[in-house]
Amino acid sequence: MSVASFTTPTVIREQAHAVGLEEKVSVRDLDFFYGDHRALKSINVSLYQGKVTAFIGPSGCGKSTLLRVLNRMYDLYPNQRATGHVRLDDEDILSPGQDLNLLRAKVGMVFQKPTPFPMTIYENIAFGIRLYERIAKSELDDRVRHCLQRAALWDEVKDKLGANGLSLSGGQQQRLCIARTVAVRPEVILFDEPCSALDPISTAKIEELIDELKEDYTIAIVTHNMQQAARVSDFTAFMYLGELVEFGETTTIFTSPTDRRTQDYITGRFG
Amino acid sequence: MAIAAPNAVYAVRRRRNVVAVALAIAATAFGLIWLVLILADLLWQGFSGLNLAVFTEMTPPPGSAGGLLNPIAGSLMLTAVAVAIGTPLGILAGTYMAEYGRYDKLTTVVRFINDILLSAPSIVIGLFVYEIMVATLGHFSGWAGAVALAVIVVPVVVRTTEDMLTLVPDTLREAGASIGLPRSLMITKIAYRAARAGMVTGVLLAVARISGETAPLLFTALNNQFWSLDMNAPVASLPVIIFQFALSPYKDWQQLAWTGALIITLAVLALSITARVLSAQRKTS
Amino acid sequence: MVDVALQGGAMMAADRVDRLKVLQRLRLRDSAFRHLTRAAALAVLIILSGIIVSLVQGSLPALRTFGWGFLVHEVWNPVTEKFGAIAPIYGTILTSFIAMLIAVPVGLFISLFLTELCPMWARRPIGIAIELLAGIPSIIYGIWGLFVFAPFLQQTLQPFLINTLGAVPGIGNLFAGPPYGIGILTAGLILAIMVLPFITSISRDVFEAVPPVLKEAAYGVGCTTWEVVRYVVLPYTRVGVIGGVMLALGRALGETMAVTFVIGNAHRIAGSILAPGTTISATIANEFTEAVGDLYTSSLIALGLILFVITFIVLAVARLLLMSINARVGA
Repeated sequence: MSVASFTTPTVIREQAHAVGLEEKVSVRDLDFFYGDHRALKSINVSLYQGKVTAFIGPSGCGKSTLLRVLNRMYDLYPNQRATGHVRLDDEDILSPGQDLNLLRAKVGMVFQKPTPFPMTIYENIAFGIRLYERIAKSELDDRVRHCLQRAALWDEVKDKLGANGLSLSGGQQQRLCIARTVAVRPEVILFDEPCSALDPISTAKIEELIDELKEDYTIAIVTHNMQQAARVSDFTAFMYLGELVEFGETTTIFTSPTDRRTQDYITGRFG
Repeated sequence: MAIAAPNAVYAVRRRRNVVAVALAIAATAFGLIWLVLILADLLWQGFSGLNLAVFTEMTPPPGSAGGLLNPIAGSLMLTAVAVAIGTPLGILAGTYMAEYGRYDKLTTVVRFINDILLSAPSIVIGLFVYEIMVATLGHFSGWAGAVALAVIVVPVVVRTTEDMLTLVPDTLREAGASIGLPRSLMITKIAYRAARAGMVTGVLLAVARISGETAPLLFTALNNQFWSLDMNAPVASLPVIIFQFALSPYKDWQQLAWTGALIITLAVLALSITARVLSAQRKTS
Repeated sequence: MVDVALQGGAMMAADRVDRLKVLQRLRLRDSAFRHLTRAAALAVLIILSGIIVSLVQGSLPALRTFGWGFLVHEVWNPVTEKFGAIAPIYGTILTSFIAMLIAVPVGLFISLFLTELCPMWARRPIGIAIELLAGIPSIIYGIWGLFVFAPFLQQTLQPFLINTLGAVPGIGNLFAGPPYGIGILTAGLILAIMVLPFITSISRDVFEAVPPVLKEAAYGVGCTTWEVVRYVVLPYTRVGVIGGVMLALGRALGETMAVTFVIGNAHRIAGSILAPGTTISATIANEFTEAVGDLYTSSLIALGLILFVITFIVLAVARLLLMSINARVGA
């Protein structure tokens, strides 16, 4: 258990509080198990309101696993469990009484592989809205347009809202998925390597989008691309072999990391 | 001397290979010849009896002309009811196996049993339905026949539903979960939609399968010489009429049997082709 | 025109409560759906149990009257109410045996052709054509068998067999007797054509699952096609092929209509395979609706029970074998 994972989040938290940042998601002593294998070890980290937090680290370090704890996606599968505390605002989302569907509406997720629903572009977005609200068609149209605008997709699809979601290009599909996530008005959005299946131009568009979205949402992004993390995030967490090795402001992590392992990873010695 | 030079051992090996290849080609020709012969005979014998009367007139007493209207209508009714009963049951069971119960012990057992039922002798299923519906109620009925056919439909639909739903990628399910979709809606509105073509194919295959089934109807729906839409009484069906007419000594009955056989075969082929086209479309989309 | 309420961040408390209400309402429906699917899955098990229970119940009168003797007695006399199952059982097993004897090698050779020899463009059409044989309903085979195949055999194959193999001492008894056309051999031959596509289809699937590197390694040292199949493909796919064969056997045992038309319906065990006989399913199909008296009906149901037990065992073994290769391959 490294010293860094113990003190740095607390120190950061105090500093963050001092400058008026609110803690949106707070992870304390989180362990995660695939069967008997302990994949996450005593994770302590915070996500701050209106900020982008990047999780970096070599393959298998547990960053996607950690992300999927935050919306309890692992609950869909047997033999996977988490212990510890994860607070979203004032609720512990790991508690047994937690309504998972409500949680997932509050904590949205964008996946590595773009997965639009097998429906029209319009339906992809309207579907989520209609799930929770009964609104008139005109209002629904407005909401759909707004979400597509938010995802920087409106101009490209406004004339073909009735086309199948799968008929779009990869980058467009991913933006459609972002629009779909935004449609249910979450508070936190999790991005799990959102650009790894996309070309550089689409990647740039999505990074721009993330920068705009952070005004209204708290964002966490897992990426294996360090430059992307440096471009896009305000805070960065470096993970290695299931542990959170170092956490801090992005500029600090990338210019003067405290831990030797962080330094090695950033300079490309491994991973 | 180079090893690769032809010698006695190699000659033997080569001869064996030639024999094997010849046998393989002969076997394939053998299989195909029977298909061609059967279809040709069917067309030849059945076509000469194919006229409008077949579809507009009822089964005649021996020695007179007539048609196959009541058995065709009966078959349609029985098939429709069997599909109406068997399909929802099969889809729901397949849904459990692919979704809620995917990692469940129950699913393993059900899948095993289902696969056995898939190939079980259909005459035994006829006996089963006889015991529970005919012997108990005291009379043969179209409902009993439809239930017997439904028991044949269920395993086919269970199998295709489970297979098709399992093919739907987990990422799509997670995408549904990620907007807070409750499990049942995720299944009905997303997974079903994604697997739709495959599931329809399964139903078509089930219909093709029961279109020609005779044995289960022999002592459930029995037979009926007259026009009847009453499912509570014996119902005529094309396969059973063919059975009766073919084994009779009357020429015109035998002719009607051939024509009926042609109709069934064409229907089954049409359904199979449609099912194939649908599944090919799915692969390209 | 961007509504403040549309901004993602600060969701009003009222919205949150509404969402909770919607989800709570859906929870009941969600739970009901789950239980419904579970019940449907259980229904499959219930159907099987129902079949077993009703067959056993229906057979009890006959089994109680005849005991184990039912399985070995040949007499089947509705008038004196003496029933013995040996003739149908014998016919069922013999016709299926003949069918497998022909269908297994032919089916395997067809698979060999389709996987190793056939040009690419012809593979799909020929494969589909063979599968069409499986799609033809059995009553079609029956009517064709009765009117076309049986007379054909009567004039060609059967006299040939009687004159050649029938003259050989010993096995000659198997091929003795007048050429009826219909009979055990004819039924076996038709069954062979019917189960051929099952063997082809399953063995083709397992043949195609052989990793190409294995075959290429063999071809690479100069093996002929036949040697690759015999020494690489067949051993690798042995379990799957056996599974496929047993599946086909299960089908053959239970086949009714095709056999009923051409078996001749004679309740006896003749020495010759050219003679008429009967099978379990043909007996039930022919006699059930005319069976008078509880003992007669019960004996027929007892026959059904025997058939079900035999096919259940064969199909269960087939499934276990096929499941084990899936587990091995991890498919």
